[in-house]
Order: sequence, then structure tokens, then C-alpha cells
Amino acid sequence: MIHISENVSPTMKKSVYVAPSDLSQIGIVVKYDFLKYLRSARLVGMLAIVTLVLLLLTALPPLLGNSYADDANKFINTYASFASILIIIGATLFAGDAIVSEFQNHTGYLLFPKPVKKWVLLAGKFLASMGAMFLVLLFYYGVALLLGLVITGSFSVLGVESLLLAMLYAVAALSVGFLISSIMKGITGAQILTFALFLFIFTIVTGVFTLGGVEPWFVVTYSSGTIGYITQNPYPTGGSDTGVGPGSLAPGGVATSSYIPDIGVAIAVMAAYTLVSLVLAYYFFSRREMSA
Amino acid sequence: MSVPIRTENLTKNFNGFRAVDSLNIEVNKGSFMGFLGPNGAGKTTTIKILTGLLSPSSGSAYINGIDVTEEPKVALTNLGTIVETPEFYPYLTPNETLAYMGELHGMTGEDLKRRTKEVLDLVKMSEWADKRIGKFSKGMKQRVAVAQAILHEPSVVVLDEPTSGLDPRGIFEVREVLSGLKNEGYTILMSSHMLNEVQEVCDEVALINRGQLLKRGTVDELIHSANARRLEVRTFKETTEVQLMRVSQLNAVTDFESFGPRDFALSLVGGDEAQANLLEELQNIGLKVVTFKDSGISLESMYMSLIKDSR
Repeated sequence: MIHISENVSPTMKKSVYVAPSDLSQIGIVVKYDFLKYLRSARLVGMLAIVTLVLLLLTALPPLLGNSYADDANKFINTYASFASILIIIGATLFAGDAIVSEFQNHTGYLLFPKPVKKWVLLAGKFLASMGAMFLVLLFYYGVALLLGLVITGSFSVLGVESLLLAMLYAVAALSVGFLISSIMKGITGAQILTFALFLFIFTIVTGVFTLGGVEPWFVVTYSSGTIGYITQNPYPTGGSDTGVGPGSLAPGGVATSSYIPDIGVAIAVMAAYTLVSLVLAYYFFSRREMSA
Repeated sequence: MSVPIRTENLTKNFNGFRAVDSLNIEVNKGSFMGFLGPNGAGKTTTIKILTGLLSPSSGSAYINGIDVTEEPKVALTNLGTIVETPEFYPYLTPNETLAYMGELHGMTGEDLKRRTKEVLDLVKMSEWADKRIGKFSKGMKQRVAVAQAILHEPSVVVLDEPTSGLDPRGIFEVREVLSGLKNEGYTILMSSHMLNEVQEVCDEVALINRGQLLKRGTVDELIHSANARRLEVRTFKETTEVQLMRVSQLNAVTDFESFGPRDFALSLVGGDEAQANLLEELQNIGLKVVTFKDSGISLESMYMSLIKDSR
């Protein structure tokens, strides 16, 4: 037998609670969404991948008979070059299902009738995924910078700048992931598209434009090249023609241009991807209905 | 004073299909209204609009006088809901889930803990309060759903088939919780396919079909106004299958149930004349009727009668 508490007045109910401000609610959503990453296998899995990458990059050179770079910036360059791929995996895991899962898993029936605006949910979820991604990047760069300090005896300031660019690229990649997640109907599709977009589609677009002699400054993965380049001192310059084929610029060869992204432009492009993707993600999310 | 739940010419179209058609319903303060209708009648769509999950194509839905589409955050503050079969975040425990939902409603600290314990006790889930929901059965999840719906003590509760998918014991327990809510003064709108459940716990009924309101009133009013009755029949000899089939196919018969070789019950649309004609028909079928008694009208009979009339 279930008993209803006796001390409740039989008069009409009136909730005494008032929904907190939008800002406070963002904090609440961040807290519980971040808990999702802490408790799920994906953050652990991501950290395991990062650890494996760190182990391979650190252990392989001596095993192959190569010595470490004696300059901290050159040392960190190897690690920085792998940051982009880690960010793509992170965006797939932390952003790909962020919105679509509420619809596909029916948790939206629980969350959406609460007195919380859609943009608040989007912001909270985005900040939580950003937190998870930053945690991974800080671990990766933290260990790499520490190894550089121990092995070369000096600290790479350019490594820190690389970290900052990596964080900006991560935010842009997560934003695109959120946009895809707010449009797609299934979690798997959203995650595959996020991964494929960054790993293949953007790369192909970059390649095609480069072959056509047009600098693909507007492609976010091209901008992410700055994460590795910035650790080179001085910052490299591009634009030189090189030959690909049987002989350099020989008949039958293909003339290509090598481009190096400008840091200022790259930052602007990554910021633009973030802004446009998040605005569009909100547009689609706010119009999406639990009609299934 | 605002009506706790109100829809005004509420209409919803899905790719040319009109799921809700100029629906006007009101649920008065402290009332427990059953929301009835066949599959596809528009019950869930109406509830989804009331809970901010869908936007209406036209018309409005109000909770405590506040337009849900215009001011969702204010309107939904004083509302508790269970829509369809909600899923939970599998990595959270009931305590954490209720904390999450409670905090979004503005609950904090000791107050939140006290109320969480109260509602989990109420739905008999205290024992699992700190276990992750991921491995809970559907029935356990449904109880947590009830708990989160009333956690913040809303004045209005909207439930979409809250006993759906539960085993008989689960249905009994949730129904007891619902009866308890009625005594606590909540204003409740509950859709259900289970007419006996509605008859048991609700004091008002709104019946819709094809997105339109067919009838609304107290359970007693509707039963008395219905042009239907339930009859129990006992025959002198055992009935054959063919005879039973012919009875069930009679024009005025809406519902038929056989209890044994000589006993059956049916719902009949119509008044005394229809009842007299039925007796004649039974005799024509070859049944020697020993008893032929009116056992009153159930909500089920009324429901079938009204749905049949609306076709």
C-alpha cells in the first residue's frame, strides 16, 4: 500500500519553486552533462588513445635508433602535429551525439518539458563537451610539454601557443559537431558524418583547391595546420611551386602550390566556423520537435 | 483566476495530416481529467503541445493562463509531466536525476534532498536511489518518471499513459500513486487507453477523436448521458460458436464478452427499444434466454458508443 504524506494540505497545490536564471541553468546543464563524460567510456577511451599516442611518440624514436630533438620547440612539434586528429576524434565523441541523442534516446521527453530554454540547453551541453575536450588537450599537451622540459631541459613557449590554437580548433570542431547533431536523425549517422567531414571531406576540398592553385584559407582543417606550424621558429612561409610526378615540373608532372595558413586568418576562420555553426545549431535545435 | 489547463482552437498539422483540429479543452483547478480517445485521436499530440514538446500549427495552449508557446519557461515552471515513455540518462542514479530536474526547477540544498526522499519513498524506489538507471526495468523507470513529475510540487500535472508498459503490480502501484495525487489537490490531465483506470481515478473525462472533442464531463455525467447500456445474458442451453458470433455481429452491439458456456455480456447502443429488439434477435438466433439484465453502463461502453457515433 502506498501512503501519500499526511502533512500535505488538501487545498490546491502551488509550487513554491521558481526556475533559476538562464545563466544558473547553464551551470546546472554543464554539471550533469559533464558527469556523462566522466562516467561514460568515451572520456576514459579518449584519454587512453591520448596516452597511447604519447607513448608511441615518446618511445618509438629511441627504439628506432633516432635521438630526440634537442630543442624544446622542435620536440613539441611532433606532438602538436597529432593534436588535430585527436581533436577530430574528440569532436566525434563529445559533440556528434550531444543533441540528437535527446531525440533518439527519448531523454528529451524528460528534459524538454522542464522550464529551460533551448539555447540554455545548447550552451550547457556545448560547454560540457568543451570541458571534456579541453581536459583531453590539457592532458596531452601537459605531458608533452613536461617531457620536452625533462628531455631538452627547456620549456616550449610555442608549445603553449600551439595548445591555445588547438583549443580554438577544438571549439570550432565541436561547434560543427553540434550543428550536425542538431540536424541528423540518428546518433551513429551524426558521429560518422562529423568524423568523415573533418577527416576526409575537408581534406579532399583542401587538396582540390590546392591543386587548383587556390589557397583553401576558408577550410577549417587547413587552418588547423597552424597548430603544428606555430611550433616552428621562424613560422614557415608557403606559396612555392613544386612538382609532383616523374620529374619536377617535367612533362606529365602536376604543378602544385604548397600553402601555409596565416595565423591571423586561421584564427578568424576557426572563430567564424564556431559562430556560424553554433547559430545554425541553435536554429535547427530550437525548431526541432519531439514528434516521433 | 486562470484555468490550470486550457487549449484554445488548438490545431496541429503533420505534413497535411490534421492530428489536432480546433480543440478546446479546459481542466478546472483540482480536477483529475481523463483524456480518452482511440489511437491517432490526437491525445499525445495535444499533450506534447501542452508540455512544450511541439508547437501548434494554430491556436494556443495555456498552463495556468500562460501561453506555452509564447512563454515556455514561465508556463512550464509549475508543470509536472510524463510524456510517452521517457528515457533517463543511464549514467545517473534516481537521486542524481531528481537533483538535475529539481535544480532546473529552482530546488536546492536540504529542501531538494527532503523532497527527493519523499517522492522516491512514494513510488517505492528508495532502495534503488543510488543505483544507475541504465539497468532499470521499464516499470522502475516509470516510477522514477512519476517521481520527477511531482518532485517540485507543481500545481498542474500532465501524464501521457503513465501505466503504459507496466506489469499488473506496477499498474496497481502507479494507480495508487495517482489516486493519492488527486487527494493532494493537483490538477491532472491524464491520457490513457485503460478505461477502467480512468473510471477509477479520474473525476472528469474528455473524449476526443480525429483531433476533435467529442464529449466532456464528469464520469457520472457521461455515463448517464450515453446512449448505451451493458447487458448480461444467461441462456438455457449452451451457446454454439456460431450463435455467439451472430450475437457479436448484431448492429447495435458494440462490445461482446463470453464468460462461459451459458453466459455472456454485451454493450448495446440505444435505449429501451434497442434492448427489446435485441431480445427478439437473440430468440431469432435460437437462444433461449433465461436472464437478460441491464448491468449499468461502463465508461468502456460509453466510449465505444461515442466513438461509433462519431464515425
